[in-house]
Amino acid sequence: MRFRDVSEVRLPEAGPAAGVDGLTGATTARPSTPPKPAAAYPVKQPFTWWTRRRGYLLYMLREFTAVGIAAWMILFLVEIARARHGTGGYQPFGGPLFIAVGVVCLVLALWHSYTFLSLAGLIMRIPLGDRTVSPRLIVSVMYGGLVAVTAVIAALLIWGGA
Amino acid sequence: MPQTITLSVTRFDPDRDSEPHPQSYEVPFQEDWVVLDALNWVKAHVDGSVNYRWSCRMGICGSCGMNVNGRPKLGCSAFLRDYLPGPIVVEPMANFPVVRDLVVDISSFMDKLKWVKPWIIREETAVGPGEHRQTPAQIDQYRQFSMCINCMLCYSACPVIPIEPEFVGPAAIALARRYELDSRDRAGQERLRTLTGSDAIWDCSFVGECSAVCPKGVDPAKAIQQTKFESTLGMLLPWGGR
Repeated sequence: MRFRDVSEVRLPEAGPAAGVDGLTGATTARPSTPPKPAAAYPVKQPFTWWTRRRGYLLYMLREFTAVGIAAWMILFLVEIARARHGTGGYQPFGGPLFIAVGVVCLVLALWHSYTFLSLAGLIMRIPLGDRTVSPRLIVSVMYGGLVAVTAVIAALLIWGGA
Repeated sequence: MPQTITLSVTRFDPDRDSEPHPQSYEVPFQEDWVVLDALNWVKAHVDGSVNYRWSCRMGICGSCGMNVNGRPKLGCSAFLRDYLPGPIVVEPMANFPVVRDLVVDISSFMDKLKWVKPWIIREETAVGPGEHRQTPAQIDQYRQFSMCINCMLCYSACPVIPIEPEFVGPAAIALARRYELDSRDRAGQERLRTLTGSDAIWDCSFVGECSAVCPKGVDPAKAIQQTKFESTLGMLLPWGGR
């Protein structure tokens, strides 16, 4: 048995070929330019794309939490500016509105920390010989660090100013 | 158990239509049918003009990517029974130009894939004779990222692609990462330079949906974030680079 030599195979050339029309018998000529391909429908993303799936919505929420943290930092800077002439006559922010804003900012900051620290195990790849450090261990160390730093700052705030 | 289920399929003929539109078909409901079976039934019995890509029917070739009820899925692994009582909305993959019906133009992805050089690069021009041995632990480093079948569902789920069309995208970066972690490869730094340049890892804002829709558990988001972390370490610490 002999396989057909691939050099004998002739693929048809793109576009209509010159030849004889089977119906009318008229000779048809090859067009001078190949037919223009029809245009594909372009990519379009609606403004409300982030409402289409829960994952998109959670992503937007995660990113939005940074706004709360930024707002709190601005408040903090304003507070420092107000205290620049010393403690005499200085009145810190207070009242129900300030407390409400503080609680909202705290919730946003906690959510931001939770999403960030939970993903740390995925993001960080720490080689350990032929293996890598377990993601669960990385996340545990991250949360441990958060608790430790929070405790140190709390201790400074409670006892440091005394 | 219903006798039939409604399939709403996006149709688009660039010669006639100004934009895609849905067309409904009633297809027999079978417990073991997937969306691809339903489309094949429509093409064989109702409307032979419906266009879509498919090949292996077993989640290996990655040809039959489409959006099923708004979620990027392989048509061969989306069971009709999971969408009862219907209708099942079948659309072309998002974030790709639509050529016809469910067929999208994937040429941009093919260019991006070549750009990251998804093959083993060594100093010698050809792989020498003999074995290039790896321990199971070395294989484990990249095994997950080697499972990619180039189905492009991750591109369909990524909201960055329509905003940054030049973004090299999740699958291509995951494949680059796969070779970067391969102990036989010698182009780790070259790949890292490519990936940390423009239109690559820093375009990703970590939505994470690429990993959520991946039918093979490749987790491209992990590949991208790990590359970000390592490149940052390489910049900050003298011993940070591998």
